[in-house]
Amino acid sequence: MDVFSNLALGFSVAVSPINLFWCFMGAFIGTAIGVLPGVGPVATMALLLPVTYFLTPEGALIMLAGIYYGAQYGGSTTAILVNVPGEASSVVTALDGYAMARQGRAGPALAIAAIGSFIAGCFATVLIVIAAPPLTRMAQQFAPADYFSLMLLGLTLAVVMASGSIVKAIGMIFLGMLLGLVGTDVNTGNTRFTFGISDLFDGVGFVIVAMGLFGIGEIIKNLGDPERRDLVSSKIEGLMPTREDLRRSAMPIARGTILGSFLGILPGGGGVLGSFSSYSLEKKLSKTPENFGKGMIEGVAGPEAANNAAAQTSFIPMLTLGIPSNAVMAMMIGGMMIHGIVPGPQIMEQKPGLFWGMIASMWIGNLMLLVLNLPLIGMWVKMLLVPYRLLAIAIFFFCAVGVYSLNNLNTELYFMAFFGLLGYAFIRLGCEPAPLLLGYLLGPLMEVYMRRAMLLSRGDPMVFLERPLSLTFLIIAAVALILVILPNIRKARQEAFQE
Amino acid sequence: MRVRAGQDFATGILFAVIALIALYIGADYPMGTPQRPGTGVLPRILSLCLLGTGVFLIGKSILFGDVAMERWVWRPLSAITIATVLFGLIIDDLGLVITMALSMSIAALGASDTRWREFAVFLVIMMVGSWALFIWLLGMPIPLWPVRVPKFLTFFFG
Repeated sequence: MDVFSNLALGFSVAVSPINLFWCFMGAFIGTAIGVLPGVGPVATMALLLPVTYFLTPEGALIMLAGIYYGAQYGGSTTAILVNVPGEASSVVTALDGYAMARQGRAGPALAIAAIGSFIAGCFATVLIVIAAPPLTRMAQQFAPADYFSLMLLGLTLAVVMASGSIVKAIGMIFLGMLLGLVGTDVNTGNTRFTFGISDLFDGVGFVIVAMGLFGIGEIIKNLGDPERRDLVSSKIEGLMPTREDLRRSAMPIARGTILGSFLGILPGGGGVLGSFSSYSLEKKLSKTPENFGKGMIEGVAGPEAANNAAAQTSFIPMLTLGIPSNAVMAMMIGGMMIHGIVPGPQIMEQKPGLFWGMIASMWIGNLMLLVLNLPLIGMWVKMLLVPYRLLAIAIFFFCAVGVYSLNNLNTELYFMAFFGLLGYAFIRLGCEPAPLLLGYLLGPLMEVYMRRAMLLSRGDPMVFLERPLSLTFLIIAAVALILVILPNIRKARQEAFQE
Repeated sequence: MRVRAGQDFATGILFAVIALIALYIGADYPMGTPQRPGTGVLPRILSLCLLGTGVFLIGKSILFGDVAMERWVWRPLSAITIATVLFGLIIDDLGLVITMALSMSIAALGASDTRWREFAVFLVIMMVGSWALFIWLLGMPIPLWPVRVPKFLTFFFG
């Protein structure tokens, strides 16, 4: 079918020298920040958004995507060698990976992590190729009411999947949506919540919010809570896993890949959920569950495959429906908006080169990571010697210059300082900032679709319940919410009774 | 640790206050008709939802107890915030070199373990790198050296 012609088009875009270069840069930067604890892919992507302004849309998205899956690779390196997860998604890798490293088997652990990630990445890429066209076709049939309900479902699932308090996550979404409404109402021309500041008439910039919350807020927190970094960079002898290692890893990699691919598609999912679920699955299936945490290669292979698969399949809802399922995808959408591309199902038809080029670049990027990473591990470990006190100052400076470079507006730096404060406050209050960002992106879109739906139905709000698709989305959202809240209420009640 | 007023309580207050401000500001936004919802509809709905969430959190914290808030560390908070604002105040007028020296030094005050000799070397490397990247390669319209007295100073001192 035309799957192949699509892929051929994609590869022709992705292998152009300039795009290969950006793919490499993305994967390289991603690995670097993945290795460094305290610098996440979200903050890095926010930092580099202003830079993408200078690139072609293809180059920009290829690089941003590379940062994300590169970070998954890099995170596992730190987890295995230093017992500090470079990224949240490699927390479980540290359990058995570090144990293996202490037994002098760091090489095989790293190799299996890379091989598992590569296999998972290839599979997930194929899945995107297969799933994207039908999903896109479906999305093109959506009426405004369906879209509105789908976005509501996306936000609900993001809340349900969020770590920590659900009520707070819901509040953060409302807050984010309100924030998204700041500026001029495109339908009526009225301004909202601008406090008379003319620099707010176009709304609060996405880059400012993202950098403030995820960049500035994060470094304030990390500077205040000194990290411990046990640099036990053990010698790496013999990278190659034994035949026995490969045999034991095969099934966990396969299972992790499938599990991760599935979890990645769900909103709010992504790498973290995938790796945790895969670890507990492998532990359950193992004949010797008591050995987990003591250097079982299955505990490295499965989660590493799962988090990379999930990282890639989480592109599916973003690419086909235009709905960001986590903060990283929000950054991707931010990158598209900088280039004036409206995310949604029309991208595949209107910009096939961009769409398929990005997908093809993921496969190329994964191959680059596999080839580059293993020989370069010594270099990555050395990078851990850069102290955070300098890293933090560098991040601060890049945030400041980045925001300023967007519009040369000084006021935007003051806004970023404000969002930095807010970001730190959220961390201290135990509020996840990711739902806020999703609400910020989806709020204005939902208003547009709500208005269109109401116009089409001549002011009858029942339209959201009468269309079968819309109703289905709303029912799933309600069920998901109830399922999560019910046990919480019971638990709270029990705790109250005990006191 | 279970306490009476902690994370949830403070979050609830924050949400509720923001919601009330938004309701107040949005009170006179036109609501339009059902067929053509106006500027004020979504802000009103969202503010009320946010207010509800805030009140719920406050109530929950009072009735069922709360988790203690982690300690705020003021030094990096104030240092990074001041450094960011200062960057905005002077970048146009004092140029990249001075702005980097001032704002990054203030930011470095926020780290309790800054070694100033190391920082000085780092700063010089960053300055050369930034000049090469932002001004030479990307051609961003940022002056390298001071061009005039900063606006905010002339505002205060005539």
